Amino acid sequence: MARDTSDLLHGTLDLLVLKALSWQPMHGFGLTKWIEERTRNELEIVDSALYKALHRLEDTGAISAEWGVSDNNRRAKYYSITTRGKQLLRTEVATWKRYVAAVTGVIENA
Amino acid sequence: MLRDMDEEVRFHVEMRIAELRARGSSEAEARAEAMRRFGDTDDYRQHANRRAARRARHHRALEWLDEWRQDLRFAVRQFRKSAAFATLAVLTLALGIGANTAIFTVVHRLLLDPLPYPNGNRIVLLTVQTPNRGPTPVSIAAVSAWRARAHSLEMIAAVSVNALLVQDAAEQDTIPASVTSNYLTLLGITPVIGRDFTDADERGENGKVAMITYGLWQRAYGGRASAIGERVRGAEGKSYTIIGVTPADMSIPMSFRQRGAKLHEATPSIWVPAPLDSVGTYGEVFGRLRAGVSAEQASVEMQSIVDSARMVASGGLVPRPAVCCARAMRAQDLIDPRETRAIEVLFVAVAVLLLIACANVANLLMSRAWTRRREFAVRTALGAGRGRLARLVLTESIMLALAGGVLGVAIAWETLRVIIALRPPALANLADIRLESTVLLWSAGISVATGILFGAGPALFAGGRSVGDVLRSETRASSGDALARRTRSALIVAEIALSLVLLVGAGLLVRSFITLLETPLGFEPHGLIAADMLLPPPRIMPQVEKPAVERAILEHVRAIPGVLDAAIGTMPGDPYRAFGTFTVDVDATGQSHAIQELGTVFMTPSYFRVTGMSLLEGRLPDSTRWGAVGGPGAAVNTAQPPTEIVINQTLAHLLWPNGGALGAMIHSGRPRGPRESSVVVGIVNDVHMPGRAGDAPTEYQMPVPVEVPLVARFRGSPGEMAATLRRTIAEADSRVVRQTIVLGDDYFRDALAPTRFAMSLLGGFAIVALALSVVGLYGSISYSVGQRTREIGVRVALGADARAITGLVVGDGFRLAAAGAVIGGIGAVVATRTLETMLYGVTASDPLTFAAIALLVVGIALLAAYVPARRAARIDPTEALRAD
Repeated sequence: MARDTSDLLHGTLDLLVLKALSWQPMHGFGLTKWIEERTRNELEIVDSALYKALHRLEDTGAISAEWGVSDNNRRAKYYSITTRGKQLLRTEVATWKRYVAAVTGVIENA
Repeated sequence: MLRDMDEEVRFHVEMRIAELRARGSSEAEARAEAMRRFGDTDDYRQHANRRAARRARHHRALEWLDEWRQDLRFAVRQFRKSAAFATLAVLTLALGIGANTAIFTVVHRLLLDPLPYPNGNRIVLLTVQTPNRGPTPVSIAAVSAWRARAHSLEMIAAVSVNALLVQDAAEQDTIPASVTSNYLTLLGITPVIGRDFTDADERGENGKVAMITYGLWQRAYGGRASAIGERVRGAEGKSYTIIGVTPADMSIPMSFRQRGAKLHEATPSIWVPAPLDSVGTYGEVFGRLRAGVSAEQASVEMQSIVDSARMVASGGLVPRPAVCCARAMRAQDLIDPRETRAIEVLFVAVAVLLLIACANVANLLMSRAWTRRREFAVRTALGAGRGRLARLVLTESIMLALAGGVLGVAIAWETLRVIIALRPPALANLADIRLESTVLLWSAGISVATGILFGAGPALFAGGRSVGDVLRSETRASSGDALARRTRSALIVAEIALSLVLLVGAGLLVRSFITLLETPLGFEPHGLIAADMLLPPPRIMPQVEKPAVERAILEHVRAIPGVLDAAIGTMPGDPYRAFGTFTVDVDATGQSHAIQELGTVFMTPSYFRVTGMSLLEGRLPDSTRWGAVGGPGAAVNTAQPPTEIVINQTLAHLLWPNGGALGAMIHSGRPRGPRESSVVVGIVNDVHMPGRAGDAPTEYQMPVPVEVPLVARFRGSPGEMAATLRRTIAEADSRVVRQTIVLGDDYFRDALAPTRFAMSLLGGFAIVALALSVVGLYGSISYSVGQRTREIGVRVALGADARAITGLVVGDGFRLAAAGAVIGGIGAVVATRTLETMLYGVTASDPLTFAAIALLVVGIALLAAYVPARRAARIDPTEALRAD
């Protein structure tokens, strides 16, 4: 499946977000921290891009949002994954793996 | 939404700042870093704005839907509670919409889409009509020229049904029609099974092939697919191989009957391919207009092609008289213009009726709007804007209208049944009228439009009222109410005016109809029956045999019990028309007259006795001369004595205005040929068939050896006589191919049918219109009495008696009715001009009819006002002053 640059970026971010939320519901900041930890600070997410991704995923029904109270007693918007989101996650993971395999195949055999 | 997103982001940024500070950065550094981490704020802001707008739109749409559902539910509940109002409104609308649907069906079927073929509107009949000489056959040269050069015609095909080929009654089932190979293509249809004709078939390269009709396929071949390849026997013993079957509803468009010809209507069963040259000579030539080209344009082009061809043929000189008037005629063009006018009038009439229905329902709704003013005030207080209230009212109106539309379809169905029963013969193809999807769409469309139309008024009145005023009990009329009252009155006046216009139109038609009924016919149709027979072609039955055959049949018919007498002849008033120049000798004053068209009736002398006509002067022709060749246009041996003829009064006055017809001679001339002369021996009365202005100049003479019909006078049941007559003729000579039996009563009734059709329908619509207006008037006056209860109570308390109150209310009603009558009268004077071609014996502005209808309308209106007036008179003042 052909993907252009912005598609790629969107897709990767979506994948990370969905995976994160498949563990537990989080708010935007929590997500950032989670991704930074998990990638051992390899990936630095631009915050506005993250929120755009979150909103996009919410609009398409892959995740749902709810206002809640954070650890430090502040109002924060928590996102959780939906059934549809879980399905999407599965698909995206498979696609990602195929993509990686394809690119790897090219660079390793040059 | 925007706030939400901002808060979310603010939380994030603050968390990050806190984290960074916890790691040792200063406030300023932390903030800078946090902003950097955040990214492009402008981009995000754009995203956020767009998203918020999207969400807002989505919500608004959902809200709309929700409100609309609410409105619908509310409306249904309302209607259930005030079932009387809802029923009245729906019925009123149903009448209006139903009438419209019915007439639109007729308009659609006759004027918009008469032919049941795809692209039917582009199929035209190619004709040549010479003024003064009637239709002439289209010459093959002209058709070939058109086929080669006419750009406005995509293709030309021809069909010829030669019933004369059929030898005897047994062969009737296999009447062949010759068609060009592209006939089905022109119509836009394909065979049910098998294949269509090709050019090769036309040229005969594939042997004798034919297609059979669906009917024949079912009847004689059981609908088997294997019929393809079998043989079928046509007329004259010819045998064909079947290559296809044509669809069930295929026929010849614009059949002879529709064009008024009296030829035998033969329905072919076999289609045989033949080249254009041979088919076109005797048959009908059709063309298909190129898309976007009108029939008029095609006619002009056809004429110019013919003209230029003649120019070339005659070396640059166009001989006179030039062939004129090549025409491409659509099916709609074949309808008598009077019928078209009648339909147009009816279309306008039902539109008027619908307007009246709308006005009534608008009035009803406005009254209810008044009753619901508190409800609207509460709604406004709760935040509903004018638009919202308008939407509410409109939803209710449209619901009512759609309900009316559904019921209206049922009413339309019934109306169509009446229309079909009444139809004049010219509109013969109304027989298979159905409610098609186009028509149903139209119905739905006008239902919604109606709903909006009558809902607009009340919708406008719904909002815009000061909430405080309404919630406080107010009994004084505010200016808004005065406007409402004036609007209601105006609507009533308009309704009455429109009803009057319709009634005057109907009244004029009724008087025309009566005139037609009372005009002496000149013959007696009741107890008269005619039989038109088709005899075999000359090679089966030579011309010289025919007089003897006919005499024999005549004797057989005379012998039928119940038959008083019989004679050769056509139904009176419908002669064979000949064109030429007919002159007379110079008379005593040195003048001589001539005519170009002459009607001829071939008859035996007892014809006049049988039909009930009267011989006014002179004597009947000598019946021993029957069988002698003669008649206009026939070659004659000048040694023969001139044919004896009897003429009608019209002909006598035309050729001998100063008298002296008896004994004079008529010479029928042709440019190069012997003159043919007849001598007048008698004069009979004119025949005045309803719907025709006077009688055509007609001569009556002894029969020549061609097919002639016979007429008989009888006693007893017409149906039985028709059957007996048919049987007798078949028994008298089995070679008679076909018979067409017509009863005098039917003949007369068919002639009356156009006027009766227009009169009945317009009359029916006018009466419904009047009824609606009267109901509207009654409702309006009742309502205003209710409004003025207090005022009336005061009057009574101040000493007014019952008569005064009644007079007051009836006076109001009278004023409305009179205003309506005057306006309607003026409108009617203008409107009835469109009826001029349909009237007999009355002018379009006949004062008697106008006055009578005006009196009728005002009288009925007064009656309608009287009932609420009586109620008003009985108002108890104490009750009135107490109540609100």
